[in-house]
Amino acid sequence: MKDILTIIFRLTVACLLAGLVMGAAFIVTDKAKKHNLHVNEQKVMFSLLGYSAKKPAPETVALHEVYRYIVSQGDVLNVGYLLPLQDGSFSFVTVDLSGAFVAQNPVNIPAEKVAEEGERSQAILASIGAGKTIRYADQTIVVTNGGKRTAYLLPGKFPGFKTFIGTILAVDQDFSILGLEIMEHEEDPGLGGEIVQEYFKNQFKGKPLETIKKLEVMKTPLPEEYLRVLEADKRERLDAEEVARIQEQYRDSDIYALTGATISSSAVTNGVKAMVKKFAYRLEILDRVLAEQHIAVPF
Amino acid sequence: MHTIRRILLFLAIVLALPVSAQAKDLIADQSFGKANNEIVVTFAAVADRAVVENPANYLVYEEHDPDIKLELLSVVLSADQKTATLTFAEPLNVRVGHVVTIDRLVESGAAATFKVAQPYFGYLLSILISALLINNFVFTKYLGLCVFFGTSKRKDTAKGMGFTFTMVIVVSAIMSWFFYQFILKPFGLNFLQIVIFIGLVSLTVQAVDTVLRKVNPALFNAFGVYLVLVIANCVIIAVPLILADNEYNFFESFMLSLGAGGGFLLALYLMSSVRERMELANIPPTFKGVPIAFIVAGQFALAFLGFSGLSLF
Amino acid sequence: MATDKTSFQLVVNGILNENPIFRLVLSMCPAVGISTTVMNGFMLGIAVLFVQVFSSCTIALFKNVIHPRIRIPTYTLTIATWVTVIDMVLAAYLPEAYAKMGIFVKLIVAFAIITMRLEMFACKESVNASFWDGIGMGLGFMFGMMALGFVRELLGLGTILGYDVLGFKPLLFFVLPFAGFFCVGLMMAFFNYIEIVYKRAKRA
Repeated sequence: MKDILTIIFRLTVACLLAGLVMGAAFIVTDKAKKHNLHVNEQKVMFSLLGYSAKKPAPETVALHEVYRYIVSQGDVLNVGYLLPLQDGSFSFVTVDLSGAFVAQNPVNIPAEKVAEEGERSQAILASIGAGKTIRYADQTIVVTNGGKRTAYLLPGKFPGFKTFIGTILAVDQDFSILGLEIMEHEEDPGLGGEIVQEYFKNQFKGKPLETIKKLEVMKTPLPEEYLRVLEADKRERLDAEEVARIQEQYRDSDIYALTGATISSSAVTNGVKAMVKKFAYRLEILDRVLAEQHIAVPF
Repeated sequence: MHTIRRILLFLAIVLALPVSAQAKDLIADQSFGKANNEIVVTFAAVADRAVVENPANYLVYEEHDPDIKLELLSVVLSADQKTATLTFAEPLNVRVGHVVTIDRLVESGAAATFKVAQPYFGYLLSILISALLINNFVFTKYLGLCVFFGTSKRKDTAKGMGFTFTMVIVVSAIMSWFFYQFILKPFGLNFLQIVIFIGLVSLTVQAVDTVLRKVNPALFNAFGVYLVLVIANCVIIAVPLILADNEYNFFESFMLSLGAGGGFLLALYLMSSVRERMELANIPPTFKGVPIAFIVAGQFALAFLGFSGLSLF
Repeated sequence: MATDKTSFQLVVNGILNENPIFRLVLSMCPAVGISTTVMNGFMLGIAVLFVQVFSSCTIALFKNVIHPRIRIPTYTLTIATWVTVIDMVLAAYLPEAYAKMGIFVKLIVAFAIITMRLEMFACKESVNASFWDGIGMGLGFMFGMMALGFVRELLGLGTILGYDVLGFKPLLFFVLPFAGFFCVGLMMAFFNYIEIVYKRAKRA
């Protein structure tokens, strides 16, 4: 009996010690992890907009985050947007499925906490009242320079050949693509994994909305001259006129598939197509509602 | 044999549960059509042609995007007035569920709403097949190799290890799922995943050991010695980590663990069959034993690559 | 029952005589799965080194307090703790490397080599000896992983540590996972060959 007690006692002490060590490590590293994630995302977003370490973004550029939710009340579904207002506070605008304005509720949340999903949901639920549930849909970042809209950043996730492909897409005011970055994927290395290569991603650059709506994948090989323009280091060796001419020539063409990875290429193409189409549709509705209701947003 | 039949029957019932929860009154059946822009609906009773063939009566959207209405081009009702084929302007994304509402389907003017998705049972089976063949834990994910090479010398050891392992992994995966959903997640203790999962595995092994010793000593004599090896197996902790990462529900976790165990058994059996014959072959001394086993495993891995991209459902 | 080897001898022992991958044939999973590049092998090697050293030292420190009947659970608990710690540290400070290693960092807890080492060495020896033995084992593992990574990266991608050496990709399939099996098998055969030649030379 005494034996079992000693065992239990020592085991419990060991577990507690272990728990303390892990808990301490967790507290120390969690902050660093979140910070790193944030910095990485910022870096990717700015590079999509054309800025880099060599060409930093000017002070006048600002990023405004808009969060979209699905609000359900019983059987009724509505779409809700958490928006930053001109005066620094936040507002939750609810729109019904056909695009008509439903309600606007102020949301009480400090700016630093708005990036945390848990805090955000709680604050929104507190403001819209009881009897409703919300489900997070996605996030859009509106980029302004000196108060005028210049671009939109769309983080998005869609099914790939294997599981999901996470991306950030940058579009300009007319919804042509400024750039595409693959954030995470589980495609096969050397085959589908090549979607992260410049000669694939950069094919999407510059495509206007009308082309994107009908975008397909071609299984023909990539023309040599187009390849030279797609890869940055090769592009620097050509003169600007030549680059512009080739880009114009291929602007409305379909996407050239990766060798041995047609399905991954199609997955990315269809995913981007859906993202842009849905965004264009929703933004039109949101802008109309914001204008009608005279909601003062900083973009 | 009897026990296996009973187990299979139990499995069949368990798997049928989620499917039966999706029946509807007015709609007998619904599925995606053969073309990639079609949905086929079968009605429980004869449907009114005027109502059904009018696209204006329909509201279709993807489950997660209720504000984006999909454009319906035409609806064609079959000769027996029970099956309708909906044709859309754009190809459908069949991997997500679609919600379809038909207005005025019944005399009283009520609308019928139903969901079209790939069959859940099919999804569950696809997880099983994935863990078994496409993402076989030994040949595609390279886990559990130490034990694999150790116990694949003879067919008997292979079978013993395989079955013991499947038993332990199913039980510990279910327990890990409970722990994860009801203790780790709600309290934000995700960083304790590794400790808790390995603890549960040890517990399961200990429990199986004790139970087997008392209940079926003959079985224990055959398989008991492999129990200890189970803990040293990478797969046993990989499965709970995966089901936590992917947020699988109970049925999906069960399928994953079953597939993992089954895949391991399959790999062991295949490997042992080859190794038994290799003992009699003329292998150069430098390659005898483990090196040639690795090369054979590599060939199996190469063969299993052929399953990549297999999608039955 | 303290070992009479010096620290240096302990380390060398871990790298050569009792190399976990090639001689003891343990911890094969990462050897096959992760050794696609030298950098990957290096990073995982560091992680294993960390876990091995800290676990060995912890067990050696507490060896008189651990009740013999709960030896194995205690080892498992210790290893799991340190694996969790290194997992969090890597995720926080080296995210790209961590992403490449994926699930394998968490799987260190199942590596037989660490438990075996604790059972055979750390629970009997002093903290100092355990420390150096841990370093030896960790370095042996790292060396094995890096050697594999070197071969696979060079033949598969034509690079070493990311630097383009060959300018083309000779045999791309070497970085595909299944080639890991071939590589390990071939390397083991190679080690066997050296041993046979060495023995033959000694006899002569």
